[in-house]
Amino acid sequence: MRRELGMLVALLVLCGALWWSNPNFVGQSNVFNTTRQISMLGILSIGSAFVIITGGIDLSVGSMVGLTGVILAKISSNAEGGMGEPLWIGIIVAMAIALLIGLAQGLLITRVNLQPFIVTLGGMLTLRGVSQTIVHGGNVSFSAFRNFANTSIFHINGEPAFPLLLLILVGVAIVSAYLLHFTVFGRYIYAIGGNRDAAEYSGIPVKNVETLTYVISAGLAGVAGICYTSYIQQMDQNVGVAFELSAIAACVLGGCSLRGGEGAVIGVLIGTALMKVIEDGLDMFQLIYHDSRGRAHFWKPDDNWKYIVIGAVILIAVILDQVVHLFQQRRRTRAAGAMAAAPSAFPVVEVAK
Amino acid sequence: MSESDFILLQMRGITKRFPGVVALQDVHLSLQAGEVLALMGENGAGKSTLMKILGGAHQPDAGEIFIARKPITLHGIADAKRQGIALIHQELMLAPNLDIAGNIFLGNEKNAGSTCAWLDRSGMRKRADALLKRVGLDLPSSTPVSRLTAGQMQMVEIAKALSQNARIIIMDEPTSSLTLGEARQLFKIIADLRKGGIGVVYISHRMEEVLQVADRITVLRDGKWVGDLSAAEATQEKIVAMMVGRPLSAWFPDRMARIAGEVILEVSELVVPGAGAGVSFDVRKGEIFGFAGLVGSGRTELMEVLFGIHAPLAGAMRLTGQSYSPNGARDAIDRGVYLAPEDRKRNGLVLPMSVAQNISLPNIANYGGRAWTLMRAKEKKVAEQEVSRMRIKTDSVTRKVVNLSGGNQQKVVLGKWLAMQPKVLILDEPTRGIDVGAKAEIYRHMAALAQSGIAIIMVSSDMEEVLGMSDRVAVMHERRIERILPREEATQERIAALMTGALR
Repeated sequence: MRRELGMLVALLVLCGALWWSNPNFVGQSNVFNTTRQISMLGILSIGSAFVIITGGIDLSVGSMVGLTGVILAKISSNAEGGMGEPLWIGIIVAMAIALLIGLAQGLLITRVNLQPFIVTLGGMLTLRGVSQTIVHGGNVSFSAFRNFANTSIFHINGEPAFPLLLLILVGVAIVSAYLLHFTVFGRYIYAIGGNRDAAEYSGIPVKNVETLTYVISAGLAGVAGICYTSYIQQMDQNVGVAFELSAIAACVLGGCSLRGGEGAVIGVLIGTALMKVIEDGLDMFQLIYHDSRGRAHFWKPDDNWKYIVIGAVILIAVILDQVVHLFQQRRRTRAAGAMAAAPSAFPVVEVAK
Repeated sequence: MSESDFILLQMRGITKRFPGVVALQDVHLSLQAGEVLALMGENGAGKSTLMKILGGAHQPDAGEIFIARKPITLHGIADAKRQGIALIHQELMLAPNLDIAGNIFLGNEKNAGSTCAWLDRSGMRKRADALLKRVGLDLPSSTPVSRLTAGQMQMVEIAKALSQNARIIIMDEPTSSLTLGEARQLFKIIADLRKGGIGVVYISHRMEEVLQVADRITVLRDGKWVGDLSAAEATQEKIVAMMVGRPLSAWFPDRMARIAGEVILEVSELVVPGAGAGVSFDVRKGEIFGFAGLVGSGRTELMEVLFGIHAPLAGAMRLTGQSYSPNGARDAIDRGVYLAPEDRKRNGLVLPMSVAQNISLPNIANYGGRAWTLMRAKEKKVAEQEVSRMRIKTDSVTRKVVNLSGGNQQKVVLGKWLAMQPKVLILDEPTRGIDVGAKAEIYRHMAALAQSGIAIIMVSSDMEEVLGMSDRVAVMHERRIERILPREEATQERIAALMTGALR
């Protein structure tokens, strides 16, 4: 919980600073938009977290967002290039394809024993190529679907205040948190990430559970892709590029270890919010200063800095985490040393290697 | 022979302590130029520690080392290399992606004649070819190491040692992965090295080999020097007696008053992957069936077949009269066959998880309540029962296992199986690396479990443990069961002779 708390503090400080520098940051339209962004990345990140907690990695989710979006637009859009089928057909086909691809990747990883990084890298490139082939370098417009992302559950002063997308994220988060933290299946996932061999020797169906995490990851990427289609309404071949890296970064910021066995849904949510607040909030930051003639000027950070900031935040987070970890370990070793040094009838014997 | 009187190496009064244990105490060793010294002792007698000190990997707490009668201090592996000491590990340390020349000069590339940063490949190859000729390996030095056999790799290791002008070469179980022909070739090279005035320290468990190749034998036991034998006076019986001669301690519970029940597990002609022939044995209700043997004799692999981790190549098993061929650990667990593995940190425990979570792990499917909810209260209750039954020292069942001592970790492994109903409990090295107090407790639990009608299979490299706990002892040697000895016939000397292949 240490990492989650630290990131929550960082998030609150950042929001506070942005609010102080620019009151528009908490303006209703900005909040509405930022929460929609957070919701879509959050759905994606939670899917990635399932894979990361078992010690795997899924690089294909960004391309999966693009592919499900392109398929949905292609099937259901009435605009040029679309097939004009009903929306539900498009959604079912897109989701079915996402789940099947996730299953195929999971089986390649667990049954053919290939490395997750390589399988999902292949998936990332292949799916991107399929999207490109479908849109043929152009784009498919699907503005008829925009209402979904624009829907608000309630309004304040006649303005939208609570996006439907956030409700979907909350639903996904609750179900995922329940699965990960309160069920036997969740225990399997943490045990596999903590020590795959010991899980195997304890009779856990390691391969099936791992395969399922890739299906979940791909499925949630499909959901995120459908949401994103409604959000941008123009599907081209570059939709979703590098989203997988944002999702992984959100998981790591939120306390997942790429070694597996660590992480929680709440942390992933905080990590996602932090990512998006930096990405979308940085250009709202401004400082007012006065020159010698007393005229007011605005200082704004260069928009291009946002990736530098995100990168730095990730590095600082993991460095701090490691420092705390080393400190705790040293304390533990000292305690163990004191125990061994104390006169005892039970000397500690070193494991001979 | 005046040349061989030249004393190359002397180690005097070497003592090495690890936290809570004395690994070496006042050990002596001397080596003359052109001599092959065999270093013998049981697993854990201190051979490797002594050689690690000589190789510079460990620093002794007391004692002196002389090379060519000059006192030296070895601060690290590089120091030892500079003194002309080369250690050839049992697991060969070659980079399979490089060629022979690249491996021979790995880390020493500058000596190949080039002072610039670029690699003088042809110079290294020329020098490597000369070295290969010296060790009798008829291959161009541009051959990738991945194409070599284990024997050829051994030759490359020796060539590498020679390239560093080694005067002392330590070989740790050099023949363990060699064929008979390759081993013969190795002995020829050792004879050549000896002629060249190089001193060889030869570590091996194989009696015939040691008697054939060594000029002198130094025996260690429990970290202490027991004695030296010259090749002329050495016999297998003498060596075995020196290796094992120690009294049984009194920690073992009294195991006389028990009667073995009906057969629970029956194994017939089971061929374990990597083995040439099948093994057959049966284990009875209420019995502790011990497996003795050297490390690498195939005991762990056999246990993993019994537990369903690997499939056997041939043969059959029966459990309580019914056919038993587990496909995976889950099958074995469902049939009541449990394994506490040799390497508990690798296979037995999920270290970052809590005591309770580890105990519930193999049975976790039965902790699912309504709507798949994990029943944490039940998990906690079961874990607390096991903690008090096994007397696991922890302040709470939510403590992470990584923070427990080795003995308590092992008790968690046992607890996780005892929380279920074992029929056959396989314990692979149940007390390795844990303190005496916890050892005695684990022995008491084992005795009580056997009493309650569970069949226990125990693999152990600790001779006292094998003798103190087993009702019958199967001695394994080179992946075969040499013999199954009933308790009355099992003596240290007999087991040691059987497991080293001295007795057939």
